[in-house]
Amino acid sequence: MNHTQEKKSMLSQGIIIFIYLAVLTGLEFFIAVSFNSVPLLVVVALVKAGLVVYYYMHIYKLNLESEKDDKSYNYKAGTNRLGLWLFLVSDSFVFGGLMVMRVNLLGLSRPELNQLLGLGVTAVLLVSSFFMNRGETMIHNGDRRGFLNNTLITFILGLGFLLGVVLVEWRIAIHEGITPDSGVAGAAFFMMTGMHAFHVFTGLILLAIIWFNGRRGLYDARNYPVEAAAVYWHFVDVVWIFFYPALYLIGTAVR
Amino acid sequence: MQRHFVIVGILVIVMAVLIYIGLDSVGLMPVQASTQASDIDWMWNLEVIAMSFLFALIVVPLVYSLIVFRRREGDTTDAEHMEGNTKLEITWTILPLFVVMAFAYLGAVNLAETRRVDPEAMVVNVTGLQWSWTFEYPPVNGLTVVSDELHLPVGKQVLLRMTSNDVIHSFWVPEFRVKQDLVPGRITELRITPTLEGNYKVRCAELCGTAHYSMEKPVIVSSQADFDAWMTEQLALAEEASQTPEGRGEALVAASGCVACHSTNGSPGIGPTWLNLFGRQEALTDGSVVTADEAYIHESIRAPQAKIVAGFENQLMPAYDFTDEQIADIIAYIKTLK
Amino acid sequence: MRRLNSVWRGLLLLAVGGMIGYGIGLGLDLLVTGALNYSGSVASAFALLVSVTAFFFGIYGYRGITRGLVWQVVGTLLGGFFVTGIRALLGSDTIFGTFFFSEPAWVFGALTGVVTFMFGVGVVADWVKWARGIDTPEHHEDEPGGGKYLDVSLDHKVIGIQYTVTALVLIAIGGTFALIFRTELAASQLQFLTTTFKLFNQTGPQFYNTIMSLHGIIMIISILLGISGIMNYAVPFLVGAHDMAFPRLNAFAYWISVPASVLLLMSLVLGGFDTGWTGYPPLSARAPVGMQMFFLGVFTAGWSSILGSLNVIATVVRMRAKGMSAMRLPIFVWASVATSIIALTATQLIGLSFQLVMFQRLFGMGFFDAAKGGNPVLFQHLFWFYSHPAVYVFVLPGLGIISELLPVFVRKPLFGYRWVAMSSLGIALVGFTVWAHHMFTSGMNEYLRVPFMYSTLLVAVPTGVKFFSWVATIWGGKITTPTPMLFVLGAIIVFLLGGLTGPPNAAIALDLHLHDTYFIVGHFHDTIFGGFIFPFFAAIYFWFPKATGRRMNEFWGKVHFWLMTPSFFVLTLGMMVIGLRGMRRRIVDYDPALGFDFTHLLMTIAGFLIALSVLIFVINLFHSIRHGEKAEGNVWNSRSPEWQVPSPMPVHNYDVPFEVVGEPYDYGLADSKYVQFNGHQGEKHPVTAEGAQH
Ligand code: HEA
Ligand code: HEA
Ligand code: HEC
Ligand code: CUA
Ligand SMILES: [Cu+2]
Repeated sequence: MNHTQEKKSMLSQGIIIFIYLAVLTGLEFFIAVSFNSVPLLVVVALVKAGLVVYYYMHIYKLNLESEKDDKSYNYKAGTNRLGLWLFLVSDSFVFGGLMVMRVNLLGLSRPELNQLLGLGVTAVLLVSSFFMNRGETMIHNGDRRGFLNNTLITFILGLGFLLGVVLVEWRIAIHEGITPDSGVAGAAFFMMTGMHAFHVFTGLILLAIIWFNGRRGLYDARNYPVEAAAVYWHFVDVVWIFFYPALYLIGTAVR
Repeated sequence: MQRHFVIVGILVIVMAVLIYIGLDSVGLMPVQASTQASDIDWMWNLEVIAMSFLFALIVVPLVYSLIVFRRREGDTTDAEHMEGNTKLEITWTILPLFVVMAFAYLGAVNLAETRRVDPEAMVVNVTGLQWSWTFEYPPVNGLTVVSDELHLPVGKQVLLRMTSNDVIHSFWVPEFRVKQDLVPGRITELRITPTLEGNYKVRCAELCGTAHYSMEKPVIVSSQADFDAWMTEQLALAEEASQTPEGRGEALVAASGCVACHSTNGSPGIGPTWLNLFGRQEALTDGSVVTADEAYIHESIRAPQAKIVAGFENQLMPAYDFTDEQIADIIAYIKTLK
Repeated sequence: MRRLNSVWRGLLLLAVGGMIGYGIGLGLDLLVTGALNYSGSVASAFALLVSVTAFFFGIYGYRGITRGLVWQVVGTLLGGFFVTGIRALLGSDTIFGTFFFSEPAWVFGALTGVVTFMFGVGVVADWVKWARGIDTPEHHEDEPGGGKYLDVSLDHKVIGIQYTVTALVLIAIGGTFALIFRTELAASQLQFLTTTFKLFNQTGPQFYNTIMSLHGIIMIISILLGISGIMNYAVPFLVGAHDMAFPRLNAFAYWISVPASVLLLMSLVLGGFDTGWTGYPPLSARAPVGMQMFFLGVFTAGWSSILGSLNVIATVVRMRAKGMSAMRLPIFVWASVATSIIALTATQLIGLSFQLVMFQRLFGMGFFDAAKGGNPVLFQHLFWFYSHPAVYVFVLPGLGIISELLPVFVRKPLFGYRWVAMSSLGIALVGFTVWAHHMFTSGMNEYLRVPFMYSTLLVAVPTGVKFFSWVATIWGGKITTPTPMLFVLGAIIVFLLGGLTGPPNAAIALDLHLHDTYFIVGHFHDTIFGGFIFPFFAAIYFWFPKATGRRMNEFWGKVHFWLMTPSFFVLTLGMMVIGLRGMRRRIVDYDPALGFDFTHLLMTIAGFLIALSVLIFVINLFHSIRHGEKAEGNVWNSRSPEWQVPSPMPVHNYDVPFEVVGEPYDYGLADSKYVQFNGHQGEKHPVTAEGAQH
């Protein structure tokens, strides 16, 4: 396989994975509406998360045999990669704890939320992950223009998600009487979406940083920062892959 | 080497026996006053045997080596090279594994013993509040006795159904051994079968704020006859108190634990004393002064944070939602405190 | 001479700053409440902030830590006023609170204070540059002399020492609190912490609860910093690295613990908190504002622990010397990795549990409020999911130090190295599954208690492996007992006592009696002293020559040991005895009818003797930095790589990289070597094994 072919195939791999993810999300919604089977939902979420972790976050890179020279850029990038993953492991315990809190307090009930909006913001975040992956692949292939455009799209979609949750979704919920102090359903909803939104927000800052620096000509062969921002962005997506069913799909709705 | 092993082996056993006898003769536990206590003490005895032996097993060879194998003057060589011994290592992994599993099994059996259910058990409802206890006995002819003392007949199981009004407390009578938290919003249960007549104290074992240390109330275990006599007397008192407003007020105050914070004799407490309260001029935190009349006291009980007496900012009184009649009773009682 | 001057200047400014701050606070308080409150909180809070800042200003001038503190104070005030302003605009009826700011204002202010500290002290400067696309040099040079310890340094050895000294300062503060409440406990009845006592808006019993809780948490934070100190100092050179994997992150992790400590002290003056270090709601949902400072302080310190352990793991995975395979790692490195795995992951859960209570207080979110459908017991699960594994965070490095030092002083290999290494991982992993043994009486699901008893008891097995190995290592050795070895031996016996009192707590029915008594208090002082305090002292005595090129005084070291150990046994055995007989934890006064007065008196005296011995240690430590006996060679005749190069350690550790050619602890095997220096043996020659000076 020659070089251009390889570039092409990486881009098309991104597309294929995205299609899988989109179909699975639809399936998830369908399962929730028609069977409401928690085990099935868990399985779908796990598959989705697995796809993102492997193909978009390329966890296998942790295992790459890096250069022997521990002063080289690649060796250091490898160390940074390990550091980032350790951080993500640590961070996922926060979200795991929130899940435990949710299961313990709400069990098989969930806050009564706007389903369409939920599906909408979920789709927006998923699409943003797709463009993030494209942007990352492109800077890897030396296509700066493509990288900048795709990162910008990711940023805009991410911002859309953030505003969709914090401005629209929260407003509607409060209007419907689900407020932070109305009861455990409201408390769990605001805490979980709030913590997630906080991570989206930091992700947006990272995206802005790599976009500005990219425009100034950084990241040619030394593009680990782009990879880091991308991995972090996908991580935020993975969290939502679990939070979305937990808040919108599982169980019966309560106030 | 052989000789060293033999000496250490003997010393370990001697030492273990000595430690056990020592601990046993000191008598580490309070008196045993319930069947649960005797079960638990049986387990404790087993643990003491294990602890004595294991302590000797490690410390004796350690100290022995320090004395016998210490470096001689002028010797600069290293000791004999010995990296490990797989058989030995497996032994000291597997053996303790069996020991602890055996102990866990015994522990589970022991737990089951202490939880053995007597369907005849008397049910007492216990409420914990900052910083008092109330005990509600089974109703007799529509009258319930509520007391801040726990009276129990000897030899009969009692089932305590417990809850808390405010924060977590924990019911513990050391002589009965068992302990159980009182959690707001749920009912927890504890079964006790007293076996020894006497006066004990229930002591709150979970930190619950300022006066946690003094959240103690008497527990009196007596013969069935004495218990019945006490019960009859209480029923009569309750009957009598329910006739007058100040009597009802006093009973309610006792049952609600107000005296945990308010003294009735003028001595300082968590809250202002009730002695001479009615008609008193109270300075409030916002600088104003009010007269403690009916309306003010009414508000002080329903919404204590509305007006706060100067000097008591830091300890908040919980709000009580008594009916108007009940509050009138309490005020009638407070009026008597002159 | 100049140094002495600066210390005096610092103390002078401490006093002056304290008075000025007190005055400002008193004035502000008067403005808001309209009454003079001399023992109140606001004045004390200002006095605390201003005096600490002024102290460092006097010692060090306006840079490094001083700048951080100034920025923290300014940040706190700005954040507080920001929220106060918003509340005023929104027309909130309580713009100011009992403690000057309202609670939300304090919380936000404290948070901005932490952030501004980090900017002020300058640890984030390089990251800001990176974000702007500017490269920075790989290494910064530290100024020579003691000044570098008060400023941001990227050198792991400096950071290690910063951690260690901060830990000692916190031990002194926490210990002083212990002495205060031990004095109160010396006899039954209220002595001086009476109901009429007033300080920082607290009555005597409230003040007792506050300092008792602060004693617990400050000591625990000091342990976390102490192990970070030893790990930071030793791990890089034990594995042959020139520094930690992420030096800036390392500095960040250290420095964030400083504003965290300030927050913990703030909790004392802002009304305190009366929940113990465990902070159970609903009690913690009602405590004064000090509670929030406690939560935030622990939360921030938790980040120090998380980021520090991330660094340790990355360093060990990526930066080992050539030939250092898993089974040739020094045993202390194994322990550090096991500890770091716990700290990296579980710490998030204590942060989360505290965060949930903070939000419950601020926004009325009903997580743990039964009236809103919340569940108080859930908090305990989240909390102990960290706080049990945390106790193994405390001890694993300590047990690692024991295993690391024993062979040196016994001149024999560590018996069963592999199994000892694996047992650390075993303790760490099993430790994750046992948390609910703290909750046997909590009213959690009854049927869950038995499995937790099994898992808890399982931990005894890997711990036992360590003990048996230690005994087998000592057996037949050629033992010498200089001070570090004394502390190692003390650690073994004390930890054994603590460990053996663990299984009785795990037997559920028995725990129904033991829970929340002084028996538990005795159990954990034993495990913590045996697993951390003793090994920590051993490590300091052991590596002190490496850091300074001088030894600590042996005589005073032995005095320290022989004073501390017996007093310690009196203290904790006393605790256990009265605990069994009915002494509850966390009480300011006990029933005289129980007859505990005499034991309590003995325990108080013992507590003071421990403090005296620690004081001797501290004096010895600082005296030896300048006046200790010179020791630049291989003082302990160790095989470990750091002792093969001269002391104090060169700036970038090993000028010549080494290769691992043998087993770490092959004492007694002729001609065996652990490491071999491959470089040119000319200009930078390592010292020879006999400890000759070069
Ligand atoms: C450094 C800290 C440390 C360590 C290492 C331990 C170790 C252990 N702890 Fe401890 N513990 C604490 C710190 C620690 N603990 C603290 C701080 C608290 C109180 C928290 C609070 O409420 O404030 C506490 C409380 C606590 C409780 C709750 C008590 C209660 O509140 O009701 C329990 C219950 O199971 C317990 C058990 C154990 C056990 C089984 C071990 C085991 O790991 C011990 C294992 C070691 C040995 C057993 C000895 C050596 C082994 C052998 C010689 C082999 C052979 C042994 C056998 C066959 C038994 N601990
Ligand atoms: C590292 C952990 C650690 C250490 C070292 C200690 C050390 C001591 N502890 Fe503490 N303790 C805890 C951790 C620790 N403790 C915890 C976690 C709790 C539970 C809290 C809770 O329930 O929430 C507790 C609770 C606790 C209680 C129970 C309180 C209660 O339940 O009401 C008691 C009672 O006696 C006590 C006593 C002591 C004493 C006398 C010491 C002594 O060893 C202290 C000796 C003094 C010092 C070591 C400092 C002295 C040095 C100087 C003053 C000079 C230094 C000078 C310079 C640096 C210039 N501790
Ligand atoms: C937790 C401790 C506590 C308990 C329990 C408690 N109080 Fe109070 N009470 C206080 C405090 C503190 C104050 C003073 C602060 C204030 O005015 O709110 C107070 C004030 C009062 C006052 C006003 C007294 C005055 O001097 O102006 C009345 C009346 C009162 N309480 C009645 C009750 C009654 C009736 C009960 C029980 C049903 C009760 N309290 C239980 C702590 C308590
Ligand atoms: Cu109630 Cu302690
Ligand atoms: Cu534990």
